[in-house]
Amino acid sequence: MTAFAPIRTAIRSPRGGVSAAVLVLVVACALFAPLIAPYAYDIQNLPGANTEPGAAHWMGTDEFGRDLMSRIIYGARTSLSVAVTAISISVAAGLTLGAMAGYFGGWFDRAVTAVVDLTWSFPEILIALILIAIIGPGLESTMVAISIAYLAQFTRLTRAQIMALKNETYVEATTNLGAGHFHIIFRHLLPNALTPVIVAGMLATGDAIILEATLGFFGLGAQPPTPSWGAMMSSGTAQIFIAPWIIIFPGLAIAITVISINLFGDALIEALDIRNRLRSV
Amino acid sequence: MRYISKTRLFASSMLVSVSVFGLAIAANAQEATFVVSAQNVGTPSYNPINGTQLNDAITLIFDRMVIQDADQTFHGQLATEWESTADGMSWTFKLREGVTFHDGEPFNAETIVWWIPQFAETENAFMTAAIESVEVIDDLTVRFVMANPDPNLLSNMSSGFMSIPSPKAFDALGDDFGVTAAVGSGPFKLESFTVGQETVLSANEDYAWASDLSKNQGAPHIKTLTFREISEDSTAFLELSTGGVDLLYSVPTDFLPRLEGEPSVQVGTMPGTGLFYIPINTTVEPFTDIKVREATAFAINQKEILDNLYGGVGSVANTFLIDSLLAANVDPTLRISYDPDRSKAVLEEAGWVMSSDGVREKDGTKLQVALWTQNGTEFKRVTEVVQAQLKAVGIGADITVFDSATINDQYRKGTDHQLAVRSYSWANADIIDWFFSGQRLGYPNVSMWNDPTAEEMNLAAMSGSHTWEERVANFTTYHEYVLSQYVFAPIYQPVQIYAYDKEAISVPEAIRGTRLQSQTVVDITVN
Amino acid sequence: MISFFIKRLLLLIPVFLAVSLVIFMIVHLVPGDPIDNLVQINSSPEQKAALAAKYGLDKPLYQQYAIWLGNALTGDLGDAIVLRRPVADLIAQNLPHSLSLGALALLFSTVVGITAGALAAIYKDSWIDRVTMTLILLGSTVPGFWLGLLLIMLFAVQLGWFPVSGARSWDALVLPVLTIGLGGVALVARVTRVAMMETARKDFVMMLHAKGVPPWRIELRHVLRHALLPVVTILSLRIGWILGGAVTVEFVFARPGLGSLLITSLNQRDYPVVQGALLMLAVAVMLGTLLGDIVQAAMDPRVRERIK
Repeated sequence: MTAFAPIRTAIRSPRGGVSAAVLVLVVACALFAPLIAPYAYDIQNLPGANTEPGAAHWMGTDEFGRDLMSRIIYGARTSLSVAVTAISISVAAGLTLGAMAGYFGGWFDRAVTAVVDLTWSFPEILIALILIAIIGPGLESTMVAISIAYLAQFTRLTRAQIMALKNETYVEATTNLGAGHFHIIFRHLLPNALTPVIVAGMLATGDAIILEATLGFFGLGAQPPTPSWGAMMSSGTAQIFIAPWIIIFPGLAIAITVISINLFGDALIEALDIRNRLRSV
Repeated sequence: MRYISKTRLFASSMLVSVSVFGLAIAANAQEATFVVSAQNVGTPSYNPINGTQLNDAITLIFDRMVIQDADQTFHGQLATEWESTADGMSWTFKLREGVTFHDGEPFNAETIVWWIPQFAETENAFMTAAIESVEVIDDLTVRFVMANPDPNLLSNMSSGFMSIPSPKAFDALGDDFGVTAAVGSGPFKLESFTVGQETVLSANEDYAWASDLSKNQGAPHIKTLTFREISEDSTAFLELSTGGVDLLYSVPTDFLPRLEGEPSVQVGTMPGTGLFYIPINTTVEPFTDIKVREATAFAINQKEILDNLYGGVGSVANTFLIDSLLAANVDPTLRISYDPDRSKAVLEEAGWVMSSDGVREKDGTKLQVALWTQNGTEFKRVTEVVQAQLKAVGIGADITVFDSATINDQYRKGTDHQLAVRSYSWANADIIDWFFSGQRLGYPNVSMWNDPTAEEMNLAAMSGSHTWEERVANFTTYHEYVLSQYVFAPIYQPVQIYAYDKEAISVPEAIRGTRLQSQTVVDITVN
Repeated sequence: MISFFIKRLLLLIPVFLAVSLVIFMIVHLVPGDPIDNLVQINSSPEQKAALAAKYGLDKPLYQQYAIWLGNALTGDLGDAIVLRRPVADLIAQNLPHSLSLGALALLFSTVVGITAGALAAIYKDSWIDRVTMTLILLGSTVPGFWLGLLLIMLFAVQLGWFPVSGARSWDALVLPVLTIGLGGVALVARVTRVAMMETARKDFVMMLHAKGVPPWRIELRHVLRHALLPVVTILSLRIGWILGGAVTVEFVFARPGLGSLLITSLNQRDYPVVQGALLMLAVAVMLGTLLGDIVQAAMDPRVRERIK
């Protein structure tokens, strides 16, 4: 069985197939935005501001007269890259921290578990807002804040996987053969713990897209004129009576993307049959 | 947008549902709910003496010695007449008879003798700094002995910060004054105050000392007045259009087209006291070159911003002061008004040549600068247009959005900032001193401007003026010099927009005063 | 059981100390100065220094921490600098609003989530399962402020059923509760569905089937009851989320609450309020976790064994 077999199984299921197709489309928008977008995302045309959706602008224009569809297509770039980068950092850090805590145990494990349990219980939005207040605004700090906000989740999950694997016979055998700790963690434990964490990471990417949008509500995240779905919705709240499309379309883009991520994630979980390994509590 | 027409229909059913749940009193109760402006959400106290942020309810709980009409003339409230000596070193005030505070304490000369020294050592000490002592002439006459002439005295006395509290209650409550209770002599009494949420006022039935600006010389028509605090403008707007509240103290200009479509909503405007501008850091490359500063200032298309972002409501800013101030009347050649050709020409002169990507360069350096702004839709919007306007003359700008506390901290910590979109709200020419005095480099003088000529002019304007006319002349000279050095770029002067439900309440056509304050509120009736 | 409880309670002491230190440090890492929000546009550096001294902001950090912690243990969280009243009062004023909103939203999520999850599990892989789970996903895949605004437009403006905003009557709670509740349904439904599917495979369930107990009775009486354990655990661990997670919804609906108090104070650098609110949330989280453990232990003796 290759690594792609479960993905293939997932795509063959009806919801997996549809959601995968949507995700491919969204990623294509992000990658090939300049080729797909009908207009530039940053060219203002103030007299043509707040134009209703129509033939020239399928999704209308925003408060600066910029083509909304082009901004949503370019926005996929920002929103996806923020979410994917943040979650990748978070997964990598969570794997390392969780593996070490689970493997070494003792006071280190207890300390990590205490901190992680506590932060896991705090709303991600509060953690992210406080972190951004400390490190300052901007796209990079938003990514860092989001990645730290989700760190607890992946650390818990990895730790649970490692705890389950630690006592299995092959690990004991390797230990008896005199292998070093890091050899055991990185060569034997982590590879076996990886799949559930990566799938959880994929599901969390959807949450991260929403978190980015919520930070946008507070005016944080992408700096203008760079479009992100969150930033677009934030400026749309003020325009909701005059130009509701400015907030509706980015909201739909988020909803469709996040639902697809969730459905595909579910299909993948079933294909891999790792449902019970995804629980860390 | 079909819901507009249905709104009215359901407003009445809303009222029914509210009264069913035991909230509304009888239908004929004279009640009203006002929403404070979003920037006043979270006002911590009703203590005029040490409060630094006060909302508009302050003028309803307390009275002031004098108040201003919309034309900025002064009218007596607790003072009936006043005069000053020619050298400005002595002011005499006659006080109104028969005024009592909400706690029954009388108002008289002793009140003023107690009141003025309260400002010492507080955040508002500058208000009374020029007053050396207060003398009692008789029970209803006081004299201010001045340490130095202060042509600004009446203007200070008409501000909400110089509202007069009951001495007895103020001393008894200490730090809790304005927090748990507030006692003044105004047309309304404070019933309850929940910070960030609401303030409930009740009519002061003994009130019989309204100024000549009010038609109603007795107790206010509204018997229970609630001030709600709503930070989202959209939410406040929806409350007004569904009949949930009766009046909004401020409405963003972009809601105007929608409000005018609402049959029951009446919109009014008043001159503003604010100004949007771009301070330019004169100590950082490339802005050490006055030509680059000049080019930046003339690249801003004030009219485009006024017309497209504000729908033509408000006015362009071409100087550092709001138009209603006399010191704003500067030599017309010094006014800063959009001129892209001049902008491009001085950049060429200074050696900045256009490159293929639309951003100028000189000796291999790009004319790419940092443009800071603060959180909030309005700021971000103006900044995005400014960014595009600078680009049009070949200046590239990178925007960073900060929250307002962080931006001030950044100014204090470092001096490498370049441009920012900022605003102030202040109806006095001494704002020039605050933002450009060499004594305040870093913050608030974020232009980092320290010029000996300007410092001399500053001294003359701030403490060398004996009369109002002299003060205006000195400030005009100072203002003109600041303009000629291009240390900032002016953008826009907002107006105050208020809106109310005309089916619920009647507001006098002419607003007496610079804001919607007690002089007008006592005339508002509930329909 | 008692000794288990006391042991867990004692364990919280070092955690509390560590957490209070972390909170204090984090708050003081935030750049910005609360005094700026306190002074007039024209005040002098001396006035600011005097204010800093008044609030103890001129002392070394470790002293500030010791004073703060000492007072906090006696229930005194200090005075808000910008908001000018005791932090404890501010929390007391906002907590009931957070609690009522959080508890009702939680109730909504739990009832709807468990029902939907159970339905989906019983009709596993049928169209009922797929439609229910997809519909439920909708609520959790859009930002709360967006959902809130849409609900206001529909139910307050269009239909006029509920007030637009505020916290002055019980009907003002409906839309915020829906906004937050809909967001939480998916989590509860998923956990319930999976837990029920797993329990259904257990030996004792097989045995009940063999004994001829009606299937609906098995599902409701036995499977669902067992499946509730993970749901309770998840919920008890999310108590901080319930109390502080409503921040955007509080802004949109102009409601008071701990989340918006914390963020507003953070923006004004009102340190004592931020510290106090965070500490309160942390204590709630610790107690919530403890409560979750106890409930778990009461429901399942094996958990008790393991923790010993």
